[in-house]
Amino acid sequence: MQANHIRIVVALIALAAALVAPFAVGPFWMTLLTQILIFGLLALAVDLLLGHAGLFSICHASFFAVSAYTVAILQVRYGQPTIVAAPAGLLAGTLLSVLYGSAVRTRGVYFILITIAMGYIIWGAMYRWASFTGGDNGITNVPAPAIGGIAIQSQIAYYYFVLAVVIACMIGYGILVRSPFGLALRGIKGSESRMQSLGYRTTSHLYAAFVISGAIASLAGVLYVYYNRFVNPVAASFNISIEVALMAIVGGSGTIIGPFIGAGILLGMRNWVSSFLELHAAVMGLVFIITILWAPTGIMGIVRRLSRRRMDAGSKSV
Amino acid sequence: MHNAILQAINGVSLAALLFLLASGFTLTFGLMRVVNMAHGAYYLLGGYIGLSITRYTGSFTLGVLGGGLAIVPLGFLIDRFLIRRTGENHLAQVLLTVGIAFVIGDIALKIWGGDNLKVPTPMFLRGAMELPGGIIYPTYRFVLILFGILVGLSLWLLYRKTQIGAVVRAGVDDREIVSAMGINIDRLFVLVSALATFLAGMAGVVGGAFLTLYPGAEWEILIYALVVVIFGGLGSLEGAMLGALIVGLLDAYGRWLYPDFSYFILFGPMAILMLFKPQGIFGRAG
Repeated sequence: MQANHIRIVVALIALAAALVAPFAVGPFWMTLLTQILIFGLLALAVDLLLGHAGLFSICHASFFAVSAYTVAILQVRYGQPTIVAAPAGLLAGTLLSVLYGSAVRTRGVYFILITIAMGYIIWGAMYRWASFTGGDNGITNVPAPAIGGIAIQSQIAYYYFVLAVVIACMIGYGILVRSPFGLALRGIKGSESRMQSLGYRTTSHLYAAFVISGAIASLAGVLYVYYNRFVNPVAASFNISIEVALMAIVGGSGTIIGPFIGAGILLGMRNWVSSFLELHAAVMGLVFIITILWAPTGIMGIVRRLSRRRMDAGSKSV
Repeated sequence: MHNAILQAINGVSLAALLFLLASGFTLTFGLMRVVNMAHGAYYLLGGYIGLSITRYTGSFTLGVLGGGLAIVPLGFLIDRFLIRRTGENHLAQVLLTVGIAFVIGDIALKIWGGDNLKVPTPMFLRGAMELPGGIIYPTYRFVLILFGILVGLSLWLLYRKTQIGAVVRAGVDDREIVSAMGINIDRLFVLVSALATFLAGMAGVVGGAFLTLYPGAEWEILIYALVVVIFGGLGSLEGAMLGALIVGLLDAYGRWLYPDFSYFILFGPMAILMLFKPQGIFGRAG
């Protein structure tokens, strides 16, 4: 019970901090915070598979990018309003995950490799199919999102919009992972053969998880394109797919807040390091190495271990 | 018709290069169950070192050998002190070795800069030769094909016809039993990973002479090598040969016929194959 109280208090403090942040920090931090929320959401999507189902997907940048490109192309080239473009983007990304979900027929290293290949198909299409996707330059001049003539122009307004979407997603995600479906996923992660012998259709569960995860990634793509106001093949790159997985692990895989903490650490660090050091890719590489070898449970894992130790100490003293 | 033949030769020469890289990758996976995403970085770094050696000494042969040899100790240290700690956790291996590749790539960028660099080739490899039928083709790529066949044949003989090869094959099948038979499996690991890193570094020099070396080349070539290995089957040397040919030809014809969709031509068939036969053409289940 005590742990639950602490959790609620921490969540409320984090929410309050997120709400007052625009009044406390400058525009640079506002863009960074918005970016953290968007990539945190993408990391959360990846972590539904990674932290709960035990599948390591390296193609989530595809759903993210397909949805972002769909929005950009509809808005810029066909002049469609946000009310059409945003749902279409979400739908396009999710449909791709319905197709790519067939990857769940494989497991382990084969799943990793096939998703790498799938990711490269989308990246290659965006990069090479220049007549449609704009090639290397991508699609620029995406307008601000507008619903019925009211546009979200200011950075602060968009930040609040993203925050609201992200909080709604976190609540939905929390319900999902605590549901029997979420339990079944963790059961499959623990031992697939045991779940099969209990009568679960494990592949169908994993497929459903893959599509839900793809839909969340697509939503992050919609938020991203309106934040960035342009999109290029980098959004679909292998690097994005792998970095968001690292975000989930750095923050704490299998938790809801972890991917956002991870996104904050990685994006914050990149901004900070690149301001004084040229070798920032090497520093990112070191973060990969250090995390995997010495902190595989991430920040949330460390927090949990510390609080458990404190609780043990507390119960002993009583 | 002319073009079709030209593209076939293009494809086969790319296949020769890919085989150099993919054979090492597939054997380290087969024997040690290691997915080493830093393999592309070994290629790039080997290429750069070979480039510097060739510029300094004026000998392409020394560059090729030096580029390969220079990577061996590095690969050994990375394998022994970093990759070995992940056990058989492929997720951890992938993230760890991607991190290693970032570090190597960034340091190489700092040393050799961001421009496309071409490894200088000796005079006799520079020109073009005329084939029957009036097709003119760069000599270097022909020599590369011959070199690939030579390396492939030596590897195959080593793998199939020698005692060391027999032990490696046994190790791919069942490590524990080989170990229980009193064979020092650890020494075998070191041997195979040294061979794999040597081939990767050498491939960098050989490839750098016609594909050039630049930041990001490590990922492009790695992804091609991955596709090769997937087509052929993880852990299979013969599979790497066949996979290299398939990928080389698909890439050459794809770029020529459907330049907008060449990545799809390459990765689409592979994704479909993986769905129905994830072990690849020559791979075995489990």
